[in-house]
Amino acid sequence: MKREIPILLTVLCGLTIIWSFFSNYPKADAANTELLQWALIFFSVAFILGITNLIRVSLKQIAAKHNDSAYKIILLVVMFAYLFIGLAEQHEWFGPGSLFGGPGDMTVKDWVYRKMFIPLQATMFSLLAFFIASAAFRAFRARSMESTLLLLAGAIVMLGQVPLGEQITGGLAPRWLAFLMVYINAAGQKAIIIGATLGVLATGLRIVLGIERSYLSE
Amino acid sequence: MAAIHDFDRRWIFLAMGVLVTTLYTLGSEKALTNSEYVDSYYATIEALPEGSVVMLSADFDPASAAELLPAYTATIHHLLKRNLKVVNVATWPPAPPYTREEFYRIAPMYGAEYGTDWTAMGFLPGDDVAMGNIGQSLRSAYPKDDVDGTEYDNLPLMAGLGDNMEGVDLLITMSAGYPGILEWIAQVGGRYETPILAATTAVQTPDLFAFYPNQCVGFLGAATGATRYLQLIDELTDGAVEEVKLENQKRMMVQSWAHMLIILLIVVGNLIYFFGAKGKQGAKA
Repeated sequence: MKREIPILLTVLCGLTIIWSFFSNYPKADAANTELLQWALIFFSVAFILGITNLIRVSLKQIAAKHNDSAYKIILLVVMFAYLFIGLAEQHEWFGPGSLFGGPGDMTVKDWVYRKMFIPLQATMFSLLAFFIASAAFRAFRARSMESTLLLLAGAIVMLGQVPLGEQITGGLAPRWLAFLMVYINAAGQKAIIIGATLGVLATGLRIVLGIERSYLSE
Repeated sequence: MAAIHDFDRRWIFLAMGVLVTTLYTLGSEKALTNSEYVDSYYATIEALPEGSVVMLSADFDPASAAELLPAYTATIHHLLKRNLKVVNVATWPPAPPYTREEFYRIAPMYGAEYGTDWTAMGFLPGDDVAMGNIGQSLRSAYPKDDVDGTEYDNLPLMAGLGDNMEGVDLLITMSAGYPGILEWIAQVGGRYETPILAATTAVQTPDLFAFYPNQCVGFLGAATGATRYLQLIDELTDGAVEEVKLENQKRMMVQSWAHMLIILLIVVGNLIYFFGAKGKQGAKA
């Protein structure tokens, strides 16, 4: 039964969703909506599982005095502090805006988000500019026909995307870029998408029909 | 080859840092030429009758805000200026604060009121499953709003919408990756035939050429697309986006020179590689 019930549930859910997709029958739509709601609940529960696992792994490393222990402690403290602040503000545990009324018109949660989370994420992403420049110098080589084509395409895209590239090539770079994107890129993308979709369709059917059982660790 | 690997890459970091900082401090703005995809984005919004409902999905985070926030801001200005109703949703957790902040700032300029002209429904977990749920039944996906927990049926704008995207005339996504425009096309555009527009990050833009103009009616590709769009709506919004437009035009010039530096580094790196290889062959002979 440990195998049969999950397979039966998978088959039923899969067939219901396919039925809803191809029919206008209201009960099929209602069943589909219900299943999607369940899926959203599972996703939300997965957050809790994720957090639990993160705590477990972090505590293990802290107990073993791993090199990253300090970071793990910071991670746990910040995670619980932010969670607490968020819940306290949401449910007004300390009254509306009394203890947690932040600087200016911001709450503490908003302040942490705007003044810490946003700049930190933006900084991480900005570092790409430096690493791409370094990688371009050290690794981007025209060693073969394929890599030469890749290099040329990359250069055209970089020139065609910016006003200076358009200016110094007399308007040619954006036209080359359009040619690359509309013909070569779009054709390649479509071929990949169609191939991948057929693969997904086949895998989906195998799961729905109970043939593919890797999700049961078989 | 050893010369390349021995070269201290901190010099490259320094060159990029000095270039970007100097140009951003001293640099000037430059207008961009038009693009078919941006024109189509603009024209699709212009073609909607007043009072039409647009679902605006914030599918990005602060890491991609430099590219997508100007497009998001410009789109809000355009939609509200045209008296279109906006339903905000989000499939990325860090996105809703942007939604609230931008709407609280921009909506009063056009006299748009919360609940009747715009709503903020917030983040929904579940990626493409969440998108499927939004398409199938907005009411079941969002029983309450994200501002103060107002019930769905107490929001006049939402009460007029039905299941299967009924009443939604256009979907716009600010897409930074997964889930984003490709998932909206699969889950909603294809199924309910809702027209979709997108603003995307540079890395995601090439994906869209395969879907334009059928599944994705128009798009703003990266900061370039956003800048072109800001130029288009500047006059329409009576200069309300002038500051963002000039800032983006300046950024485009900085980006131009950063691209030139990268191309120069590729050329120099290859020259060293080839001359180094030839030198070795000569020494062997």
